[in-house]
Amino acid sequence: MTQPTRIGLEPLQTIGNDTPRIDAAERVTGAAQYTRDVKLPGMVYARVLRSPHPHARVVSIDVSAAMALPGVLDVITNETSPIVWGAGSISGGRQYNDPIKQATIHRRYIFNNPVRCVGDSVAAVAATDRNIAEAALELIEVEYEELPFVLEPEQALADDAPRIWPEGNLCPDTRNNFAPMTSRIGDVEAGFAEADEIFEQRYETGFVHNAQMEPRCALATWEGDKLTLYTPSQGISNCRHDSARDLGLQDHQVRIVSQYMGGGFGNKNQNQDADLIAAELSRRVGRPVMLEYSRREDWLGVHGRWPTVQEYRVGVKDDGTVTAMQMRGYSGMGPYRKNSGGISGMDYYACPNRLREIYPVYTNRTTSGNFRAPSDPHGVYGVESIMDDIAYRMGIDPVEFALKNMRRPTEEARFTNYSLEQVITTGAEQFDWQARRRLRPGSDQGPLKRGAGFSFMMFRAGLGTSSAVVRVDSQGRYTLYVGVTDIGPGAKTTMGMIAAEALGVPLAQVEVIWGDTDRTPYSVGESGSRTTIMTGYAVVQAAEHLKRQIADRGMPGGADVLIGTATPAPTTDGLIRQCFAAHFVEVEVDTRLGTTRVLKYTAVHESGRIINPTTARDQIRGAAIQGIGQALHEDLLYDQRNGQPLSPGYYRGRHLTHQDIPDIDVTFIEVDDGYGPFGAKTAGESGIILAPAAVANAVANAAGKRMRSLPITRDKLLGELA
Amino acid sequence: MHSDSFDPATERQAVDPDAPQSPSRREFLETTGATVAASTVASFATPAMAQPTDAAAPRTTISVSVNGVRHEIEVEDRWTLAELLRDGIGLTGTKIGCDRGECGACTVLMNGAPVYSCGQLAVWADGAEVRTVEGLARNGELSPLQQAFVVNNAPQCGFCTPGQLMSATALLEATPSPTADQARAALVGNLCRCSNYNAIVEAVVAAGGGGVA
Amino acid sequence: MRALINLDANSISDAVQAAAQVRAEGRIAAFSGGGTDLLQQIKDGTDPADVIVNLRTVNEAREIEEGAGGISIGGLATLTRVMENAAVRARLPALAQAAESVGTPQIRNVATVAGNMTQRPWCWYYRNGFNCFKAGGEECFSVNGENGQHAIFGGGPSFIVHPSDIAPVLVAFEAIFQLAGPDGEREVPAAEFFVLPRVDPVNENVLDESELLARIVVPSPPENTVSSYYKVMDRAAWTHAEIGVATVIRRDGNAVTDARVVLSGVAPIPWRLRAVEEFLAGKPITAEVAREAGEISIEGAQPLAKNRHKLPMTSAAVERSVFGLAAG
Repeated sequence: MTQPTRIGLEPLQTIGNDTPRIDAAERVTGAAQYTRDVKLPGMVYARVLRSPHPHARVVSIDVSAAMALPGVLDVITNETSPIVWGAGSISGGRQYNDPIKQATIHRRYIFNNPVRCVGDSVAAVAATDRNIAEAALELIEVEYEELPFVLEPEQALADDAPRIWPEGNLCPDTRNNFAPMTSRIGDVEAGFAEADEIFEQRYETGFVHNAQMEPRCALATWEGDKLTLYTPSQGISNCRHDSARDLGLQDHQVRIVSQYMGGGFGNKNQNQDADLIAAELSRRVGRPVMLEYSRREDWLGVHGRWPTVQEYRVGVKDDGTVTAMQMRGYSGMGPYRKNSGGISGMDYYACPNRLREIYPVYTNRTTSGNFRAPSDPHGVYGVESIMDDIAYRMGIDPVEFALKNMRRPTEEARFTNYSLEQVITTGAEQFDWQARRRLRPGSDQGPLKRGAGFSFMMFRAGLGTSSAVVRVDSQGRYTLYVGVTDIGPGAKTTMGMIAAEALGVPLAQVEVIWGDTDRTPYSVGESGSRTTIMTGYAVVQAAEHLKRQIADRGMPGGADVLIGTATPAPTTDGLIRQCFAAHFVEVEVDTRLGTTRVLKYTAVHESGRIINPTTARDQIRGAAIQGIGQALHEDLLYDQRNGQPLSPGYYRGRHLTHQDIPDIDVTFIEVDDGYGPFGAKTAGESGIILAPAAVANAVANAAGKRMRSLPITRDKLLGELA
Repeated sequence: MHSDSFDPATERQAVDPDAPQSPSRREFLETTGATVAASTVASFATPAMAQPTDAAAPRTTISVSVNGVRHEIEVEDRWTLAELLRDGIGLTGTKIGCDRGECGACTVLMNGAPVYSCGQLAVWADGAEVRTVEGLARNGELSPLQQAFVVNNAPQCGFCTPGQLMSATALLEATPSPTADQARAALVGNLCRCSNYNAIVEAVVAAGGGGVA
Repeated sequence: MRALINLDANSISDAVQAAAQVRAEGRIAAFSGGGTDLLQQIKDGTDPADVIVNLRTVNEAREIEEGAGGISIGGLATLTRVMENAAVRARLPALAQAAESVGTPQIRNVATVAGNMTQRPWCWYYRNGFNCFKAGGEECFSVNGENGQHAIFGGGPSFIVHPSDIAPVLVAFEAIFQLAGPDGEREVPAAEFFVLPRVDPVNENVLDESELLARIVVPSPPENTVSSYYKVMDRAAWTHAEIGVATVIRRDGNAVTDARVVLSGVAPIPWRLRAVEEFLAGKPITAEVAREAGEISIEGAQPLAKNRHKLPMTSAAVERSVFGLAAG
C-alpha cells in the first residue's frame, strides 16, 4: 500500500491510524445493497419519456395507446401531476430552502411544458415489467411545436436570442433580480492605473458530467400517508425535507433510506425528480414503484459541471506585484438554475482591487449543477492560466509569483491557522519543481516535450450545525446514530472512529447506524465537504454528553441505556478556517499526435488532522484523477444546428481508464487548529480543484503554447501547434 | 433449424413435458406473438420475489451454473445475463452501470473469462459456468483478493467493485503474481469514477504477493 | 429492450439458412458472434433486428490453423484467441497487435473476427439515431456538422470512418475472405470486401444480408516480412483508432522490397496508401525515409472543417509505424 506522507501530528488512539472501512466486507462480497438491489413485494417499474427536442411546446399528449398495453398501470404527465421539483431550479442557485422555494419564479416541474432541452422529462409510465414500461413510452403520442433554441451562454444573452424563460436568459438571483453575480473589492480601475503592464485573456471550460457509476434511481412505497423512498442521496435529511415539501407532506411523513450508493460527486444532493416521480406513481397505483434511469437519461436528465467562458484582465507592476484583477464570466446553466454557476479562484490572491462579474445563463443544453467543488476547478484553471503566463512572461518562477501575491492572514482577516506557504514549498521540494519545470516553455527538443505546472488553493473548512446520538448499554456496547450516507469517502467509518476516539473505546465496540431518516437524527449531508467536520463535531459533542452522564451515574445496568445527544452550533470565533493545498504535475506532450500524458503528480494538502489516512489519501488521489479527466478529456458535444447532444456516455466521454492514470503522490501536513472534530478540516472536494490548472500549466510549460480551452484535446493542441 | 445438443429445448423437455420440440422456435416465427409454452419452470433458486414479466415475450428455458449452483430457468429471450443474475436469480452483487458495455460494472466470469453481462443475452449462457462476486468468498472467508481490496481501500462507493474483482480474479488465476502494469491491462475494461485506480491496482498486486505497486 | 427471438444456429449453413428464412418471413435477422455491440445497437434502437441468429452454438469456423497455404482463421474465432495464437504472433504480429488493441478483455473474450470486421460505424450521428445514410436515410450529418472524428480520405456521400483495427491488417496481408450464404460460398480478396459509400452508402462491405464472413485465409508472408499495427487513441484503451497504421514490409537487409501500408480510422474503408508503398519500395528504412513516407501519406487527403488535426497525426503515425520496422 502506498501510504501518504504525513508531517506534523502523531496518531491518537483511533484517529490517525489506517483503518479499513467497517463495512468493507459488504463492499467486496456483493452484499452491500444499493437502491436498485432492493426488491419489495408487488414492486412495479417506471420509465420516463424525454424530449427529443432542445426546445418545444407540448401541444398534446395522447396516452391512450400506452394505457391500453397489457401490464401498464398508469401514465402521468404535467397535466395529471403538476408537481414542482423545488430543488430542480432555484433562484440564486443556492441551497434549496423554504424561503427560496417561495422566491423562485422559474419553477421546474417533474414534467415540463415547454420542454427546454433534449432529455427534459415529459411523462412517466408504471408497468409490471421494465420492458413493458419501455414499450409503453413508445406508444405515448406527443405533439410538439418546436421552438427556437440557443446553446451558448453569450449567444443566449443577445437581445434577439430565443427566450427560454419569459424574462430572458440571465438567471435571477435570490431576490429575482436579473443581474450578474458581482463581487467588488477595492478600486479595480485604480489598480490598473497603478500597473506597469496589463494582461488579458479569455478561457473556456467544458461541461463535465458527474458520471457516477450508479445511474439515478428511486424506489417509492406508501403505507397509508407515509412515504418511504429508497434513493441514492447525498443528504438524507435534506432529501426528506425537500421531498416532503414538494409533495405537500410533513417531514415525518417521509422516510429516506440511502445506505450504499454508487457515487454522486454532487448530483445526488437534495431530492431529485426521480424521487418525486416514483412517489407520485406509487401513490397512484398503490404499489411500490422502482424508477430506473438509463445511463443516457442520467447523462442528459440529471446534471454536470457548468461550462464557462472567463475573460480576465490582470494588472501587474514590474516587480511582479498584482495590482488589479478583473473577470467577466459566463456560466451555461442549461434551462434550469439548479445551482450557482460560480467561478472561483481570484480570492486566493491578496490583490486589493478585484472585480468579478459572473453571468449565470439559461441555455437549451442539459442542466448544469454541482459537481465536487462546484465553482472551483474551472475557475482556478482560468486564474492560474493567466497568472502562469504572466509569471513566465515576466521571467518569474510561478511558485515565487504565487508566494508573492497569494492571500495571507492580515490583522483584519485572521485564520485559525495558515499553511498555504508550507504546502507550496513542501510540494515544490518533494516534486523537485526547479528540475522539472522548463525555464523557457516549450524548450525541449524533439516531438516529445516535457514540462511542469503547479497550482494552489484554499477551500472553506468552516463549521456548522449537525446532529448525532450515541447510546451505551449495560454490556458496554456503543451505538452511534448519524444521518450520513456513505457516498464513497467512508463517512460511516470516519464517524465511528471519531466516536471511538471521543468515547475512549476501541472502534470495534461502536456500531454505526446510518442512512435512514427514521433511525438517525439530522445530518448536514454529503455535500460541501461537511460531513467530517460538522457531523463529526456533533459526534464528539454527543460522546461528551454521554461521558458526562456516565461520570455522573456510572454505566447503565440491566435493560437501561444511556443516551448522549448533540446538535452543536460551533463557530470559529470570527476566524477564517480553510484547508490548503498545492499540486505539482509533470506532463509529456507528444507534439505530433497532440497527446498529453501525466508522468508525475504530487499533491500536498493541509486538511487539519487526518481522521483515517487511507480513505483521506484516496479522496485526494481520486479527485485529482477526476480533475485530470476534466483537463484532458471530458465534455459534452452538441450539434449547433439541431441542439442534439452527440457525446453522452463513458465511451464518448473518454473517461480515464486504469491505463490512463499516473500514481498520485499524496502528502498531508497535519495541524490541529483547535476547531472541528480533533482538528479535522475539509478534504473531499479539495482534491479536484487544482488538477485542471496544474495540468494545463504543465502542458503550457511543455508545449510552449497556452491552451485556452478545456478539455485539452488533440485537435485543440495540434491546432495551436500548427 | 435442427435440434441438437445446443438447443435449450432439450433441456426444456426434461422439465416440461408439454414443451414443444425445438422446431417450435421456427414455428414461433410464423406465429408471431404466441407464447412458446405455459411456464412451469423448475428452479433451485426462485427468488423471493419473482420478476414480473411480459407474458407475450418469447422465452427459452436454459440451464446455467452460477457460482457452482445449477439453475434450470425460463428466461425471456431479450433478458441480458445481468438481468438474469440480478432479477431472475436474485444475485444483485453484479451491478448495471451503463447497460452498454461502456463501464464494466457488470463484469462476470463466463467459463472462466471476464465478460460484460449486460452485453450477453441470458439465453447465450445456456450450458455455461458463470461466476459472480457472490461466489468469491468461500464459507464466509474472503478470498485473498477480497482481503487485499479491504486492506488497500480499493472500493470507494463500491459500485464498480464487483466488476473490478471479477476481472482481477481472472487475472490472478492466469497470472498469480501480476505486476502493476499487468493489473492495469487486465482491469482496463472496468471504469471507476471515484477514480480509485491507484488503490485498486495496489490491492491486486498485493493479492498476488507483490509489494507496493 | 424490445422483445426479440434468439435462434441458436448449429452450423454456418444452418445460420445463413435461418437468416434467409427469417427475412422471407418479413422479420429482420442479425447474426451474433460476441453480441456486445449488437445488443447495444438493439437497445439504442439503431439496429432494427428482432431475431438474433446466435452463432455461439456453432462449432465450426472457430479454429486458427497454419497450413501450406497460410494461416486460416475462422470468422468466429475470438479476438482473445487471435492475439494469443502462437502462429499469429510469430507470423502475423501486426494482427496480434491489432486484436490486442481492440476494446477490453471483456470485449475481446467474446468478440469475433467476423464481428469486428463487420461492426457498424461508431459515428456519433449514426449511433445517436440520426437518419443518416448508414441508417437508410439520405444525408450525412457530419459534412456540415461535428466532423472531428470523420473521414479525411474516401469520404462522400457518407464520411464515416471504418472502425476495425484488424481489417487494415488483413488488407495489408492480402488475406482472402470466405463468405458463406444460403446459396453457397464465395471468396473475396480482403481489399474488395470493403466498399466505399460512393458505391454503397448504406453498407460497409459486400456481404449480403444473409451472408456470413466464415473464414479468412492469410497467405504465408514471405521470409523477411515484418509487420506492426500502430494505433493512436484518445485514451489509453477501450476506444477505436483515431489513426491505426497497419504496416507490412518485406525487407532485404534494411531495404524494403515490398510494402503495404493500410490505415484505420481515416476513411470509410481500410485505406491503402499506395503512394507510400511505392515510395518505400527499394529504399532503406531510415529516419528520413520514414519522415518522407509520413509526408506522402496525406497526399490527396480531403479534410473536413473540424478534422484537420488528423493530417499531422496521420503523418506522424505513418512515419513512426514505418520507422518502427527498421532492421536492428
